[in-house]
Amino acid sequence: MMEPTPFDPGPDAELGGLLREALTGPEPEAFLRRMRSAIVGQDNQWDVLERWARPRLVAAAVAAGLLLWLGVRQFAERQLDTGVMVASNRASSVLSPQPPSPDEILASLWETR
Amino acid sequence: MAYLPQGQQSQRSGADLRTEDVDDADLARSAARGDPDAFGRLVDRYGIAARRAARAILRDDDDADDAVQEGMLAAWRAIDRYDPARPFRPWLMRIVVNAALDARRRHQVRRAEPIGETLETGGLGPDRLAEAALLRERIVASLATLPERQRIALVLFDAEGWGHAEIAATLGVPEGTVRSYVFHARRAMRRELESLAEGMR
Repeated sequence: MMEPTPFDPGPDAELGGLLREALTGPEPEAFLRRMRSAIVGQDNQWDVLERWARPRLVAAAVAAGLLLWLGVRQFAERQLDTGVMVASNRASSVLSPQPPSPDEILASLWETR
Repeated sequence: MAYLPQGQQSQRSGADLRTEDVDDADLARSAARGDPDAFGRLVDRYGIAARRAARAILRDDDDADDAVQEGMLAAWRAIDRYDPARPFRPWLMRIVVNAALDARRRHQVRRAEPIGETLETGGLGPDRLAEAALLRERIVASLATLPERQRIALVLFDAEGWGHAEIAATLGVPEGTVRSYVFHARRAMRRELESLAEGMR
């Protein structure tokens, strides 16, 4: 037998055959079937997850939009109420038979500047 | 010089002999578009080679099969990142080899199963069967004494018939390094097998 060199051009058929025989393992076709099933199974899992997730994501987005709209609306109403309250407070203090409080007097002086 | 006992010839599995018309890049493109059957065909082409490489790294057969499955699933999930301009085989094998190396690190101290129990008998008599089982055990044991990268290079070069360039791409090393790996691994394996053949005479 010749000693191998780093410049051996091709595979050693006999050693290669032995390695294949020792490493192939039993039932190669069944092994490949298992691999393919795992791929398809994995794919189905993602499909199922995607089918499950998509309508829920849309519903969540709609709910979030609705909540945002309600929030904005409430904020706007609150701002409007505050304005009305300030106006009505000023009117009521003018019409009130009671003398104004020092705070009201100071506030009116400040506003006229 | 023949290493094998007479009457016991190694054979490629049916999957290795299967010929396909569509090239790897086309199948990979289809797989990237979400076609699991296309990826399944790539698994058919390279699954057994991947199994052998994983078995060269992991001596436990179940761990090796699990590592191949893990690698194949990782490749399937990452198929849209594969560049069809480059060869598919080294890309896939690199993922599988990395999965096997990770598994090896996880199961560092696990004892190997005796492989003789699971091998097909091929109709040999009890003496031949025992001889064949012994030879296989010795091959696997000899392989296990080699450094990991030498083992992978030897299996891909001699058992799978890959070129140095593809193995270099798989292992991420220069071609010259692959030549050196194959040379040292072959020399060590031949010595082991010759001493075994002497003992069998």
